[in-house]
Amino acid sequence: MKTYIITALLIIMGIYVMQASEMPARPCYRTISSSLMEFDDFCDVCGCSGNGGSMGFGTGLNNNFIGLRYIGQRYRSRDGIFSNSPWIDENFNTIQLWTQIPVGRRLIINAVMPYQFHSREFADDTKQHINGLGDATVLGFYQILKQTPDSIISIKPQHTLQLGGGVKMPTGRFEEENLEGSVNPSFQLGTGSWDYVLGANYGVTHRNWGLSAMVNYTIKTKNDKEYRFGNQFNYALNVYKTYYLGTNFALTPQAGIGGEHFEKNKEFGFEVHDTGGNALFSRLGVEVNYRQYALGLSSMLPVAQDLNNGKVEVKSRFSVYLNINI
Amino acid sequence: MKSLYKLSTLLFLFVSVTSCSDDDSPGDNLTGEGRVIIEFDNSVAGDDLILGSSYTNSQAETLTINRLNYIVSNFRLTDTQGNVFTYPKEYGYFITSEETGNTEVVLMNIPAGRYTAMTFGIGVDQEKYLLGAEGQGDLLTEAESTDMMWSWQAGYKFLNFEGTFTSSTVPENTYFQIHMGSHGSSLDNYKETTLSLGTEALVSDEMTPIIHLVVNAGNILDGDNKISLAEQAVIMVSEEKSPKIAENTANMFSVDHVHNGDGSSH
Repeated sequence: MKTYIITALLIIMGIYVMQASEMPARPCYRTISSSLMEFDDFCDVCGCSGNGGSMGFGTGLNNNFIGLRYIGQRYRSRDGIFSNSPWIDENFNTIQLWTQIPVGRRLIINAVMPYQFHSREFADDTKQHINGLGDATVLGFYQILKQTPDSIISIKPQHTLQLGGGVKMPTGRFEEENLEGSVNPSFQLGTGSWDYVLGANYGVTHRNWGLSAMVNYTIKTKNDKEYRFGNQFNYALNVYKTYYLGTNFALTPQAGIGGEHFEKNKEFGFEVHDTGGNALFSRLGVEVNYRQYALGLSSMLPVAQDLNNGKVEVKSRFSVYLNINI
Repeated sequence: MKSLYKLSTLLFLFVSVTSCSDDDSPGDNLTGEGRVIIEFDNSVAGDDLILGSSYTNSQAETLTINRLNYIVSNFRLTDTQGNVFTYPKEYGYFITSEETGNTEVVLMNIPAGRYTAMTFGIGVDQEKYLLGAEGQGDLLTEAESTDMMWSWQAGYKFLNFEGTFTSSTVPENTYFQIHMGSHGSSLDNYKETTLSLGTEALVSDEMTPIIHLVVNAGNILDGDNKISLAEQAVIMVSEEKSPKIAENTANMFSVDHVHNGDGSSH
């Protein structure tokens, strides 16, 4: 499946790269997707926390938008502590309602409300499903450097820098019962805790090219079941190029890398065995803009990983979103 | 510039508020009594033990294991202050069996506390044996039904380890039987092992820790003492080999992890 997705993406990107080499001499009157920054989304994904997936990109920096995004994550984890213990496939699915609203001249508010439906199948063919709201996140970013709004493509590189933070609220259920054996402890709808996020986004665009970098750190706290997911550090770097195809159309292929680092989880103050770790992903994506709509596709594949002492493996992540500028 | 300064102050405040939010010591008031669950997860050198599967050891002997039963007894728990709680002897003997899936020991009425080490015996000590048949309680009938007893005179089998094997000199599948125990009261093979838990197991009327042990059955023949099945495939009453097997068996246990909680999940 993932091979198909990637192939399709590459073909689409290839076609448009060819077409776009005959770019109109006059750029469109408006840069719809002026720069693709990454925002948010740390960890809500995997239920959150343990292996919270960050999925990358947001849309237009200076846009207010509201959108829906689907994120699918495939994991496998060992059911047991031995080297021949069976692998269990885990599917984490998230649908997010997300929005970005500028407040005043320099503040951006980013909010995400996820709905999760996860499933896994044990070696004895029994299936487990959990679904419900995930953890809602509200972030505020202060724009230290911002692009000139609505400018036509500038000759000079345009820099943006945003610093901010926010809170992830325990709107997703955390069930102690889901801590089944030594299987992935992140099979949860939420961390069950108030978690705090610090983040920074940097972007530079020059002509049609753009580069974005982000780092964020999530401080997780103890939930009422005395479980505390490990703090999480995410980083990502993306390059993209926007092709203007007529007055209303723009297409932006993107490629990048992203990484995640997890500290160990704690339960009753004691470190939980086989937790923590890190993963590095490659990422390919594309965003299509038509008038006020943005449709994005993104796929992430692990390049290197060591999660939960090798007991958990992330196989792939895929996301698709549709945003409307408001 | 002023706004930058303001922002960094805000960030700093934010970090300082959030970073000290949750470090109070857990289980500060452990009260009452609770249970301790000990899971004996049988394995062979890092692989899960699956009856009927084959495992090759360092002596190039390939064992297909069909049975692994052993008696564990006389549990003692040591808390952070060094106090030792000894489990009552009359309830203190447990037969675990891979065949029946009965690999969990539940200790009841443990005083609330934070335990950091556990000691237990493998087999039945002479003190218990010398109480005579009437002093054995349920253990005697249970041992008979699980094939953990030769006869009352010969005594308990502490370990019943059976299957088939092949080696370079024994190419045909050949039965092996390792039955280890004390020989009446003439040879005492009862041994004890002490394991550090590596963390604290929290016990209270609300908390039931699960101590997850890894039991490496490969150690029985292939531990500090090397026992060759090609040399002798049925080892029962052996004054030379059974003490070595007893020693190997006592060293086959280690703590994988401790799960603190209400005992409902691992």
